[in-house]
Amino acid sequence: MINIQQQQKLLINIAENLPRNIEAYAIGGTGMIFHGLKDSTLDVDIVFRNAEDRRIFRETALSLGFKGTKAEIIYGNKDNIPQMVALSDVRIDLFLLKIISSNFSEGMQKRATQIHEFADKLFIKAADPIDIIIMKSVTSRDKDLDDIVSIINKTKINWKLLIEESNEQVKLGNESAILNLGEKLEKLSNQKVIIVPKDILDKLWKLLNKQVKAKGKKKK
Amino acid sequence: MKTKMNDLELAEELNGLNTIQMIENSLNVGRAKAIYIIYKLRMKGFVLTEYRSDKTRVYHISPQNALGGTSYIDIINKNSPIKLLAVDVHKIYGREPSIEETLIYAIKRKSVRYIIATLSLFKKIKNWSELYKRAKDNDLVREVVALYDISRLIIPKITRMPKRFKTLATPKKKDKYKFIIQGLDSSDFKNIEKKWKVYIPLNASDLTDYKVEVS
Repeated sequence: MINIQQQQKLLINIAENLPRNIEAYAIGGTGMIFHGLKDSTLDVDIVFRNAEDRRIFRETALSLGFKGTKAEIIYGNKDNIPQMVALSDVRIDLFLLKIISSNFSEGMQKRATQIHEFADKLFIKAADPIDIIIMKSVTSRDKDLDDIVSIINKTKINWKLLIEESNEQVKLGNESAILNLGEKLEKLSNQKVIIVPKDILDKLWKLLNKQVKAKGKKKK
Repeated sequence: MKTKMNDLELAEELNGLNTIQMIENSLNVGRAKAIYIIYKLRMKGFVLTEYRSDKTRVYHISPQNALGGTSYIDIINKNSPIKLLAVDVHKIYGREPSIEETLIYAIKRKSVRYIIATLSLFKKIKNWSELYKRAKDNDLVREVVALYDISRLIIPKITRMPKRFKTLATPKKKDKYKFIIQGLDSSDFKNIEKKWKVYIPLNASDLTDYKVEVS
C-alpha cells in the first residue's frame, strides 16, 4: 500500500531525475487519490501517450533503485499489460493508451483536466472519476467494486456521459464494456450500496441488445 | 457520534469550512471530542486552519488537502486583494512557483478576472530579468509592460520597472496591435494601448476593487 504522502514523494523523486518533461495520466487508485476519493492505493497506475515517454520514465525509476518486474505474474497472458517497476512494496504500473481491454480514449484524455505537476518535469492529469468507473468495471476484484461504490456515492455522476463512454469503448474494440458496466451497476444496485437511476440500466441493456444484434448481422 | 467512521470518511463528512461548534453539531459530539477529531484529521493532512477577524479558528477540511502542493491560484490569492475561485485544478509539488512565473501564467489564462487579480503581483516582482525571460519565451513582453503601466495607475508603491525592460518591449513600426484577450479592448486606457500596441481588456470600472486613479 502507498499513501498520499508516499505517492507524492515518489513522483517528485522520479520527476526531479527525468531528463525532459513528460505528460501522463493517472488512472485507478492513483487517479482516485488525486480526486480525494481515497487515501491509499495498492499500486500507482500511470498511462503514457507514447512508448518513448514510458521508456524514459521507466529508466529513470530503474536508475533510482526500482526493479523491473514481470507484469505477467499479476496480469497473466493478457494483451496490453503494463510494464512494471517496484521498490519494496511500492509498485508502479506503466500503461500505454490501451489498458488491458480498455482504451484511454480521446474523450477520456479531454476529460482529464486536473493537472498535478511534479518538480516542473512530470505533468500527471487525473482521469475523470467516470472513466475510472469504466476501467474498474472491467475487472472482477472486490476492491474495484468498492472503488466504484466509493466514486458513485461521493461524486456527482454524469450518467449520460458514463453510457456514452462505455459505448465508445465498444466502438474502440472493448466488446464487453457495456456488459461489464451494466453487470457491475446492477449487482451493486441490487445490493443497495449505490443508487442507479432505473432508466440508466435500461439504456445500457438496450445498447447491449443493439450491440448483439449488430454483431449477429455482421456474422450473417 | 453518528457511526464509526475512518479518517477519510470523517474528512468527507466534514468537507468544507467548519468551526468547532459546527463539528460538535454535525457529528453530535462534545467539544473535547470535536477538538480531538480536528487533531486526528490534521495529522492526516486533511485540515487547513484559517483565522477569522475575531481570531476564532475556521477549519477548511477536505481529503484533497492531504495532497499538499500549491497552485498558481493559491499564489495569486496570497498576494492579491482580488481573490480567485479555483475552477480548474493545477497543483504543483516539489517546488514553489515564483511570482514572475505566476504572472505569466495568469496572462496566458486570457481571463479578465485573472488579469485584474494579477495586477497587484507587480508589487511583488523582485527578479525583473526572470520576468523578461519568461515573457519573451511566451511572446508576452509587450503585454507585460502594458499591464505594468495599468498597475502603476491603480496600485501605490509599485517598484519601478528597469528601463531596459521597457526599451526591449517598445514596439517597432511594423509591429501590429495584439490582443491580451481576443476581441477585448479598453475605452479608458487608450494611451497605454497606443504606446505598447496592445489592446487592454480592462476599463477603469473593472478596477473598482482597487483604488482607481485614472487620469
